[in-house]
Amino acid sequence: MSSLTSMDEAKASRIRHTLWFGLIGVVVLWFGSIPILDGNQSLYFSLMLWVTMATSFNIIAGFTGYMPFGFVAFYGMGTYTAAILVSIVKVSPYIAIPASGLAGVLIALLFAPTLRLGGIYFAIVSLSLAVILQRIMGLAPEDITGGSGGLNLGQHTVREQGFYAMLIVLVAALATVTWLTRSRLGKALRAIRDDAQAADAMGINVQRSRLYAWLLSALFASLCGGIQAWFTGALDPVTAFDVLITAKTVIYAMAGGLGTVTGPVIGTVILVWVDELIWRQFPVLNSFLLGLIIALLILFMPRGIIGTLMQKYPRCRRLIM
Amino acid sequence: MSEVLVWNAMIGGIVFGMVYALIGCSLNVLAGVLRVINFAHGEFIIAGSFFAYALFTGLGLHPLLSLPICAVAFFVAGRGLYYLLVPRLARSDEPETSSFLLMFGVSLMLIAAMTWIFEADIRPLNFTFDPINVTLFTIENAYGEGRHGRVLIPTARIVALVINLFIIVGLTWYFYRTLPGKALRAATMNREAIQIVGINIHRLSSMAFGLATSLAGITGVLLALVIPSIDPNGGADIALIGFVVIVLGGLGHPVGALFAGIIFGFVEQFSNLMLPQAAAQMVGFIILVAVIFLKPSGLFGRSVLR
Repeated sequence: MSSLTSMDEAKASRIRHTLWFGLIGVVVLWFGSIPILDGNQSLYFSLMLWVTMATSFNIIAGFTGYMPFGFVAFYGMGTYTAAILVSIVKVSPYIAIPASGLAGVLIALLFAPTLRLGGIYFAIVSLSLAVILQRIMGLAPEDITGGSGGLNLGQHTVREQGFYAMLIVLVAALATVTWLTRSRLGKALRAIRDDAQAADAMGINVQRSRLYAWLLSALFASLCGGIQAWFTGALDPVTAFDVLITAKTVIYAMAGGLGTVTGPVIGTVILVWVDELIWRQFPVLNSFLLGLIIALLILFMPRGIIGTLMQKYPRCRRLIM
Repeated sequence: MSEVLVWNAMIGGIVFGMVYALIGCSLNVLAGVLRVINFAHGEFIIAGSFFAYALFTGLGLHPLLSLPICAVAFFVAGRGLYYLLVPRLARSDEPETSSFLLMFGVSLMLIAAMTWIFEADIRPLNFTFDPINVTLFTIENAYGEGRHGRVLIPTARIVALVINLFIIVGLTWYFYRTLPGKALRAATMNREAIQIVGINIHRLSSMAFGLATSLAGITGVLLALVIPSIDPNGGADIALIGFVVIVLGGLGHPVGALFAGIIFGFVEQFSNLMLPQAAAQMVGFIILVAVIFLKPSGLFGRSVLR
C-alpha cells in the first residue's frame, strides 16, 4: 500500500513539474519574443521584475517566516551599485549587474545579525535600515551617488539588453525556488518556520539555514534593482528606496500565497495587470487600493489565492507547486 | 555655538520630548494590551492635526476647543476600527507581524485619503497666540560686546507643554489609580490571567484601541500648534519616532515611554544643533537599531531575542 502511494506521489510530482516547467518554457518564449515583435516592453518588464521580487521575497518570508519591511534595501542597493558602476566607473552592464547582486548579498551579510530578532523587532529594524541606506545614498557626495538628484545612465545602456537580462534572472529565481521546495535546505527552512526548537532538536542548523535563505532572497532582489536601473536608465534615492516597492512586493507575494512556488507568480501577474490597466489612471486611488488590498488580504485571505485553493481543495496539491 | 541656541535646544527638547512621550504612551497602550505595533500611528496623528486644521479653517474654531472634540471623535473612531480589524487578527498564525502588515495597509489608505482631501501640499495652521513669543530671560553679551541675546519661547509651545503635562498626569492617575487603568496594565502583564478574574478582554481591548487613537488625535492637535506645517506624508517619520521611544523605553511600558520620549527629544534637538543636517536626520534610526541590538529590552521591558 505504501509503495502504491509513494508511486502515486512520484507520479503527481512528475505531473506537477512537467506542468510547471512547461509553463516556464512558454513564458520564456512568449516574453523573449516581445522586443522582437515590438510589444509593450515596459509592461512585460515590470511583470518580470515584480514576479522576481515577489519570488525572492517568498524565499525569506514564505519559507522562513520573517517579514522584512525594509526589503526595498536590497533592491535599492542593487540599483545604486549598477548605476554607479555603469555611469561613473564606466564598466559594462554585464559586469555591473553581477556586481549589484554581490552588493545585495554583502548588505544582507551586514544585516544578518538582525535575523536573531523576534517578529516585530525584526520588522522595525529592517524598516529602519532601509531608511538609513536611503538617507546615506541621498546625502553622499554628488559625484558618487548623484545626491538627491540621482543618476542617469541612459546613454550607456541598451533597453533590450536589460529586458533579456531580467528574463534570465526571472528564470533563475523560479528555478531556485523550485529547487528549494525539493532540497534539503528548503525542507529545513519550512521545519524551522513551523517550529524552530523542534527543527534544532532534529539536528538542523537553524542559523545557517536562515542565513542562506536571507542571502538568496537579497541576491535576487538586488539583481532586480540593478536590472531596473539598466532598463530604465535613471534613478534617485526616493524612488530606489520607496517604501511602496516593499509594499507591492509584499502584496503581490501574499496575494498569491507565501510559501508556495506558484503563488507569488500568480498573485503578481493578476495584480500587475490590474495595476497597469486600471489604477495607473488614478495615482492617488492607486495607493489607497494598495492599502485596502493589503488589509483585506490579511483579514480575509492570509494564505493568498494558491494557499486558499490548496487548503480548500487538497487534491490541487497534485497539480500546483 | 551661542548660548542662546543651547537654551533653545533645551526648551525644544522638553517641548518635543513631551510630545514624543505622548506618542510613545499611546503606542505602548496598543503594544502592551493588544500586542499590536501600530504602523499607522503616525497617520492617526497627522489626521488629528488635519482635524484641528479643518475645524479652524472651516469653522474658525480655536485649536484648543477642537482638542476635546478631537479626543472624543478619535476615541469613537478607534473603537470602531478595533471591532472592524482586530478580532479577526487573533485567529492568524502570527498576530504580531500580521497586525503590523495590516496597519501598514491602513496607513497607505490614510495617506491616500488625506492627500486626496487636503492635496499633497504641506499646510500651515495659520493660528497664532497673542503674544507670539514669550521672553524667558536675556543673556548679556550673547553675541559679543553689547549685543544681548533673548531666549524666546513661542507661546504655542508653552501651551502645548502645559496641556501635555496635564494629559500625562491624567494618564498616570488613570493607569495607577482607577480600575479600568489597572485592568489595562494587568492585560499588559498577563492577557490570559485577567480573563480568569472576569474581565471582558474584547471590551477592554476596544477601550485600549479607542484610548490610543484618542491620544494620537490629541497629539496631532498639539503637534499642529508646535510645528510649522502639516504634511500628509509625514506620518512615517512620526511613527518612527514613536518606535524609537517605545523600543528605548521598553515595549508596553508607559512610564518607560515617558522617559524615553524626553531623552529622545533632547537627543534630537541637540543633534540638530551640533551635527550637519544630513547626519541629524539619521540619529533616530541609528539609536533605534543600536538599542535593539545592545539592550533589546529597553530601559524596562521584555526580552525579544529568538
